[in-house]
Amino acid sequence: MNYRALIIGAGISGMQAALDIANSGYEVLLVEKEPAIGGHMAQLSETFPTLDCSQCILTPRMVEVGQHPNIHLLTLSEVVDVQGEMGAFRVRILRHPRYVIEEKCTACGDCVATCPVVVPNEFDRGLAARRAIYIPSPQAVPAVYCLDPEACLGLFPLACGKCADACQIQAIDYDMRPETIEVEVGAIVVATGYELYQDEAVMAYAYMSHPDVMDGLEFERLLSASGPTGGQVIRPSDRTVPREVVFIQCGGSRNPEHGLPYCSKICCMYTAKHAILYKHRVPEGQVYVFYIDIRAGGKGYEEFVARAIEEDDTVYIRGRVSRVFPKDGKLMVWGVDTLTNSKVEITADLVVVAAAIVPSPDSRRIAELLGIDVDEFGFYTAADAEMTPVESGKPGVFLAGVGLGPQDIPETVAQASGAAAKVLSAFAAAKAEERARRALELEPEIQNEAVVQ
Amino acid sequence: MSRIGVFICHCGINIAGTVDVERVAEEIGQHPQVAYATTYSYMCSDPGQQLVRESIAEYDLDGVVVAACSPAMHEATFRRAVAAAGLNPYRCEIANIREQCSWVHEHEPGRATQKAVETTRTCVEKVAWDEALEPFHLSVIKRALVIGGGIAGMQAALDVANAGFPVVLVEREGRLGGKMAALSGTYLNFSAAPGLLERKVEQVLDHPHIEVLAGAQVTEVEGYVGNFAVRVSALADPLEVGAIVVATGWDPYPLSRLPEYGGSELADVVDGLTFEGMLQEGRAGLGRPSDGRTPREVVFIQCAGSRDPERGVPYCSKVCCMVVAKQAIMFKEYVPEGQAYVFYIDIRSAGKGYDEYVQRAMEDHDILYLRGKVSKVFRGRDQVIVWGVDTLSGQPVEVAADLVVLATPMLPSRQAVTLGQTLRAAVDQSGFFSEAHPKLRPVESLTAGVFLAGVAQGPKDIPETVSQASGAAAKVLQMFSQEVLIQEPTVACVIEQFCSACGACVEACPYGARAIHPLWHIATVNAALCQSCGACVTACPNKACQIHNWTPKQILTMADVLVGV
Repeated sequence: MNYRALIIGAGISGMQAALDIANSGYEVLLVEKEPAIGGHMAQLSETFPTLDCSQCILTPRMVEVGQHPNIHLLTLSEVVDVQGEMGAFRVRILRHPRYVIEEKCTACGDCVATCPVVVPNEFDRGLAARRAIYIPSPQAVPAVYCLDPEACLGLFPLACGKCADACQIQAIDYDMRPETIEVEVGAIVVATGYELYQDEAVMAYAYMSHPDVMDGLEFERLLSASGPTGGQVIRPSDRTVPREVVFIQCGGSRNPEHGLPYCSKICCMYTAKHAILYKHRVPEGQVYVFYIDIRAGGKGYEEFVARAIEEDDTVYIRGRVSRVFPKDGKLMVWGVDTLTNSKVEITADLVVVAAAIVPSPDSRRIAELLGIDVDEFGFYTAADAEMTPVESGKPGVFLAGVGLGPQDIPETVAQASGAAAKVLSAFAAAKAEERARRALELEPEIQNEAVVQ
Repeated sequence: MSRIGVFICHCGINIAGTVDVERVAEEIGQHPQVAYATTYSYMCSDPGQQLVRESIAEYDLDGVVVAACSPAMHEATFRRAVAAAGLNPYRCEIANIREQCSWVHEHEPGRATQKAVETTRTCVEKVAWDEALEPFHLSVIKRALVIGGGIAGMQAALDVANAGFPVVLVEREGRLGGKMAALSGTYLNFSAAPGLLERKVEQVLDHPHIEVLAGAQVTEVEGYVGNFAVRVSALADPLEVGAIVVATGWDPYPLSRLPEYGGSELADVVDGLTFEGMLQEGRAGLGRPSDGRTPREVVFIQCAGSRDPERGVPYCSKVCCMVVAKQAIMFKEYVPEGQAYVFYIDIRSAGKGYDEYVQRAMEDHDILYLRGKVSKVFRGRDQVIVWGVDTLSGQPVEVAADLVVLATPMLPSRQAVTLGQTLRAAVDQSGFFSEAHPKLRPVESLTAGVFLAGVAQGPKDIPETVSQASGAAAKVLQMFSQEVLIQEPTVACVIEQFCSACGACVEACPYGARAIHPLWHIATVNAALCQSCGACVTACPNKACQIHNWTPKQILTMADVLVGV
């Protein structure tokens, strides 16, 4: 048995599983395809139902992961091949070049000032810009810059070189190349997380291409104190404060004909949170929420939605939106209120669509590499959804987080610890077996000695 | 007089871009207790740490202040660094001049510099009075106690035992299986619940590392993380365990609290758990309680007591929407000629495959979902009349039902509140055990060494319970992987000359860490239980209670710096 675990994905679930295993004294290889860890939780403004600031609770965890002596963090990395079986998986990991030497970079930011390239910042969901050399967020772990080779003016041959000139400690290395490493691990936890649904054909009705129509994660960045507006809610088109905001739930979810049949589970709660946070920032504003069912199943969740309705005067309208379109600098929202059976027309300044949760685009590829199953949408399937919810069915491969299906942070964290428990049990059982075997091996020697005597 | 070294970090331009770090060094260098003050571009880098270590020897420093980023980032780093140079790590403090200074005062460099000086000076004053402390080492008894033998408790027990550690599983009933044993089927795996459960029960009973104490209850808990002594009703001697998993589950809501639905008054109004029992027998079991006749018209009322802050419970019981869909489908399978009606407020089928499942109930099984509350349930001729409203059509609805099934709330186990007191683990106003943090520490209680699994923490369904129970097991395994537990020494202490043994601290302590010594007649602190909250410090009329390295002297001196005294 190789007593080392591989964790694919360093969002909150991968981090939790890594910490639980590493704190138990085992080595962990944590592989993340992005330049920094934290996943989508790092992008969130506050979290429901306590309105804790997401960064404030997450950053110490990220630092803990980054500094843990038993966790080897491989960012900008992808698992490309897996062979072998539980106890001895042979894994090939492709490490994309960062073009910045991690051990040297001190995150001083001198390089950024000289970079002439401006591209949309993914971390801010395109609401702000970044340079070709950048750090995803000020709290990023590892706190190291990286160079986006797509955006850079040209690495081969080198067309600019300004960032390297500016870097006094010479941490920038344009000659870095992709590198494939091979490792052996005993167990694997798959925690590849989610993306938001972006099917143009389906989302077109909501006019998602309009700057003042955004998805939930964009709105998180708009609310975030560390976001592009410093937490001020202003609409992207003309930088005015929106007075009427419409939230559309089930954007692509629960729509078997034109989207996805499943429920994305977390949107009801984050929309209620968005409504409350918006009202805290714009007390004179008005919020409308279009919903089918309000799904507030969780500790303190029901009470939280009640607070959005009662204290923050959010108007909940039970019904679907049929059309969103721009008119006279505003957005017309046409819908129906199924409780009064009347048409509803709202002239909104900003529209936020709770876009469906879809598995990471990598999930099918990872599943194939590992020989585990995914459902028709690409979510991993557990061996038995009820009795063994974190086991993939393949011995030694365990599952955690939204890769299994939509779920919220506490569920994800508990489940990731659950996956860690399976790894810990497997390692501990193997150790016990090894001890027993060693004892057995020693026995004949003892017998031989007896014979000699 | 102390000899304190102050190390001011530029953090590239993060601090130095706003704060004039050289001026901070110059001003703080004039402090009588400061023997050396310097700046460096990245104090956390290897050369930066080297600078700190070498300066300790060179300037014979007995305390260190690092003015840099938040202590959450690098307090551990610098404490390790000073320890490597032979200084007690508790004589190193971090002044946060980045997050709480340069980053938030970007446009006011002058005042930011002044604030950085003052922030650093408060830490100098603190270090001057910091004691050299040693962390506590606690031994760990590598045996776990699981309270509750339902699916959550069994799963947690199995995960811990499979790793080779002994587990004692205490169950108040005479058998294992909990509420799941009463189910006819789970919603993903119809009619398989008893089979699924039996296998788990067998695994638990056959496990060489699990000792099951059925028909027993936990009566008393003493000790602290790693070292609990637990009295169980079935045992003469206390049980010594290192960790406790609370998996006490839930109890049904009394029907008598639902008179508007004919609860406990009308024989043919039953709760979901009773209906599960009927379904277990198939069509034969579905005879209605009043006359044994097979019901044709069955009305399911969701949120019968849940989401009702005035009369019932304010929370959502989370599982009922799916349970009702399953029950209605099973009823239709056993009684194809029957009709099922479901009154609901919102259909909460959030979970993998759940929404599709409810869709099937409506489309493939013709179950009639009515969005609205039921206003009244009363006795008709041979039937039960249900009056409600369909909020979608705005029409009143009347159904003459043969049987009414109430989806009543999940209440926390009857024993939860008492057990919470016994364990000194907090329960919320509804009686569910409180987790240490609602987002990031969902399976830990606020009491070290006590973990939570299943519905004891809040309503949840079987897959979530099973995952979470394994999560609780992970925390136990993590603890058992340590030979000793290291406890921070910055806990409460007593100045014995001032203590009058009045007991105010004992009353104030939420963790049971304080007691009055029976012989010496002074207050004592159990350092393993103390969480350094400071409640005793404020409660003590004689100022005999203090927190190590957070003494009133230190805090007041720090405050003096800030108000400019």
